[in-house]
Amino acid sequence: MKNNEILVLAEQNYGKIHPVTYELIGKGSELAAKTGGFVSCLLVGPSGIPCEELCYRGASPVYYMEAHCFENADEMLFKENIVSALKDIHPQMVLIGATTFGRSLAPRIAGALNTGLTADCTDLQVDEDGRIIQIRPAFSDNILAHIKTVTDPQMATIRYKEFNEADRDTTRSVDIRKLTPACTVSGIEILSTQELGGVDVTKADVIVAAGRGFKKKEDLVLAEDLAKTLGGVMAASRALVDAGMVSSQIQVGYSGHRVKPKIYIACGISGAPQHLAGMKESGTIIAINSDPSAPIFKVADIGYVGDLYEILPMLTERFRKERTK
Amino acid sequence: MKILVLIKEVPDMQKVEFDSERGRVNRANAPAEINPFDENALETACELKKAREDVDVTALTMGPPRAEGSLRIAYARGADHGILLTDAKFGGADTCATSKTLAAAIRKKGGYDLILCGEKSVDGDTAQVGAEVAEFLGIPHCYYVEKIDKLTSGHIEVTAEDLWGMKQTRRMPLPALVSVTKNITTPKLPTVRRRLESREIEIERMNLSSLEDILTPEETGAKGSPTKVNKVVIPPEVKRESVVFREEPDGFMDALASVFLEKGLV
Amino acid sequence: MTVSDYKALKEIVGEEYVLTDLEQTGAYMYDEVEKAFRPDAALDSIVVKPADTAEISSIVKYADTHDIPFLVRGGGTGLAGGCTPVVESIIISMERLNRIIEIDDKNMVAVLESGVTLMQLLEELEKYDGLSFPVHPGDEGAQMGGMAVTNAGGARAVRHGVMRKHIMGIEVVLPNGEILELGGKLIKNNAGYNLCQLILGSEGTLAIVTKVILKIYPKDNYSCTIVAPFERFRDACDAVTDILKSGTLPLAVEYMDKRLFTGTAEMLGLEWQAKDGNADLMIILSEQTEDRLFDAVRVINDICEKHDCYETLIAEKKAEQDELLLIRSEHYNFIVNDICDSFDYAVPVSCIPAFISDLKALAASYNTGNNIVAHIADGNVHGDMWYVDGKTPEYADEYKRKMYDLVFKYNGTITGEHGIGKIRREDLKLQLSETELSLMRGIKNVFDPKGLLNPGTVL
Repeated sequence: MKNNEILVLAEQNYGKIHPVTYELIGKGSELAAKTGGFVSCLLVGPSGIPCEELCYRGASPVYYMEAHCFENADEMLFKENIVSALKDIHPQMVLIGATTFGRSLAPRIAGALNTGLTADCTDLQVDEDGRIIQIRPAFSDNILAHIKTVTDPQMATIRYKEFNEADRDTTRSVDIRKLTPACTVSGIEILSTQELGGVDVTKADVIVAAGRGFKKKEDLVLAEDLAKTLGGVMAASRALVDAGMVSSQIQVGYSGHRVKPKIYIACGISGAPQHLAGMKESGTIIAINSDPSAPIFKVADIGYVGDLYEILPMLTERFRKERTK
Repeated sequence: MKILVLIKEVPDMQKVEFDSERGRVNRANAPAEINPFDENALETACELKKAREDVDVTALTMGPPRAEGSLRIAYARGADHGILLTDAKFGGADTCATSKTLAAAIRKKGGYDLILCGEKSVDGDTAQVGAEVAEFLGIPHCYYVEKIDKLTSGHIEVTAEDLWGMKQTRRMPLPALVSVTKNITTPKLPTVRRRLESREIEIERMNLSSLEDILTPEETGAKGSPTKVNKVVIPPEVKRESVVFREEPDGFMDALASVFLEKGLV
Repeated sequence: MTVSDYKALKEIVGEEYVLTDLEQTGAYMYDEVEKAFRPDAALDSIVVKPADTAEISSIVKYADTHDIPFLVRGGGTGLAGGCTPVVESIIISMERLNRIIEIDDKNMVAVLESGVTLMQLLEELEKYDGLSFPVHPGDEGAQMGGMAVTNAGGARAVRHGVMRKHIMGIEVVLPNGEILELGGKLIKNNAGYNLCQLILGSEGTLAIVTKVILKIYPKDNYSCTIVAPFERFRDACDAVTDILKSGTLPLAVEYMDKRLFTGTAEMLGLEWQAKDGNADLMIILSEQTEDRLFDAVRVINDICEKHDCYETLIAEKKAEQDELLLIRSEHYNFIVNDICDSFDYAVPVSCIPAFISDLKALAASYNTGNNIVAHIADGNVHGDMWYVDGKTPEYADEYKRKMYDLVFKYNGTITGEHGIGKIRREDLKLQLSETELSLMRGIKNVFDPKGLLNPGTVL
């Protein structure tokens, strides 16, 4: 009998469930409705994770492989155990978030299962035979490739924030099946773990991004002030990173971070394709540039042609007032 | 200590053109270059070579015959040897088939202690091949390495972003595969002397028959690829409303304020 | 000027193309001469933006009839104050004459309106397979007309020479409003005096150039930049003369004081990779085939090694070459706050080592220093004068005079590429004989008997 299980590989982050997991359950349910299948979830992690939450979101069953050793970010341990679980479960499809976790693990899992893997999908569809069409951007997002996998399971990693989280419904039945780890030691020794520090531009709702229009490092305070006032963070284009004005940690673009905030304010950024690839999916895009022919205006919802040195302080002032109202 | 650097020849992305009418990618006007991320891996290997006397660096690429040019550049930048894996039967390989073929060649040559690669390629952007090669070789891997802290004959210690975005230092037994970020180093200019030499050196070639006891024709190229590209679409440009204010700060600020209000962000 | 003048001009070009408010005209007053040395602009000047040659002719006729001085403004990238009005004038801005009329790849010429910028031309040529234009004065905002009348140079003159070598013809408006076409798409043309070449390099004092017929060239597909560090400056210079003798023709051979390379790189958050030595050459090569490129690389490298250079480096990737070029071109921002005047001397290539060593000794005698940046294979040396305690030093005139004496000692010129403009008129008298100057005055008088076109420039 054909197994029509769509399995979401849950991502737990030092014991906390990563929201991409809920997005994948949501998308998986949508696909399952078309294939006539069902969505399950495999969670590999330390004990004590409230995994009924995964059921409330619509996954059933939830396989929970629980062991102390999964507190460590050790690819080999995760890989060995996930592969052994998948060999038992035999899902038709495996969905994994295209996070650091997914990017590092998914290829190994696919390799071990001798199956195909499509990275960084932005959409999934079902064809007439019930196979999955995996859609992924390539060439700095200039093309969309439609890919099908001829082996099983069909595996894909999916970008974070691409789909809405699945609805939470606590009346859904809870079916949690505990799995025993196949192995608990690897040859890898983790010597230390610490915070990376700094801001995470991928998580912000509001981003004020600075580009070449800023002449000096000191001037960036204009963007920082506005970001602070708006409750957001500052990001930058590659030009400023290359010029040594900001750290690459806040770089948005193809060679930096991809971001998808609710509001993206591009200040003095011309909008090279490499930059657009990192931000054009943002909710509302605001562009401020003195050059009316700058390509950034083509992707912007609202544009302002003028001097950023004048308009940014005005905006900060205006929103500061708005806040205190 | 034998270090292998995996490099990929890619088109200069600034020069690649996209034809949205016909859904085609035109690379004809884009000169080929070493994937910039792989250059960091190569430079890392060369730095290790400078730090230790016994290091020998080999650059390996799979591609058409003209990819030999990239191996010559790799030599100019400090690699000791170049190996070109080329065969019409390798054509059309997806990441799985590519990784299997690379792993087969690495097994065939044998004896590498450390395999380095860049974090991703600028054209494919899958970041899959490194980890899949490690899987097919049965060795551990670590992605997003920003520093190699220590390299001894049996182990490597690295600083990397871990699976959950924390900074981790770890120790792995060799052989192992490591993918490096752009932050690890900045590629240096080659010397003219080495670049001139690079035009004369012998580049070793391997093809499917060199791997016959390890890799079958069914495991490589389009035949060995479990993923198939059905079609390529050039997405229509996302049309946005684009209300533009020219030197009218008040109108602009009002518009902005209403967006914030609408999204509940004020 | 009066309201009726404004009205007449508005009738010619249209209401919106006449600017009279200083808030708008302010941006049209100066070029890129250092503030301390630039001429004072007559701020009551107004700006008109004609659409074509016919409108320019009408403006000029009006100015001629009413005895109003006038001058032309191009990209504003000049370094001699040529486009600054020093008396109340009509500033004729060429920005609307920006049409590329024809790219003729059979005759390999481009016909351009003179307001076309270098950037625009290069972008247009990109669309044709394998065409290019070699002269590059550094700033791509420069306009063709401006590059023509100032006979622009730049780094690539080693192989390609300066602007006048590439101009086959021009259309001009004479100071009385008459329109003339000079030259054409001709390789050979010996009919009478070459008026076209006379106008090139005249810095906008003889006629207004409205169209340019330019030679274009096949594009070289392979290029690289070599960095060759030497311990001694003398050895670097000897290498340069040997390179020129060898028959390899680099696009450019640039020299900068080492601290400018390292300091500018650091300012940009980059690293100057040639750690050894005190005198670095940056040699740019370009050829049609890879083999030819590397034949030249080998010859040049052998020459550098013969003259005791340290390990030479090579950049081939565009990004890496661009980075080197950026360090070279951004040096100005590294020193801009220290300098009160800059110079553009040229001497015979063989005299460079002695000339620069004399310049350094002269600076030392004033207890100051200088930054030397040179298109070294052209003998073109950019030097400067430093502020003392934030002010132009009292010895400035005397010091300048002594620098020029060194230039003349080596049979050089006070300006290799920037021109005389408005800031070196007095200096020109030091270099040229009274006979030469009076011949020049005579020529000016023939073209512009009333002296209305760009007064106070060159002579």
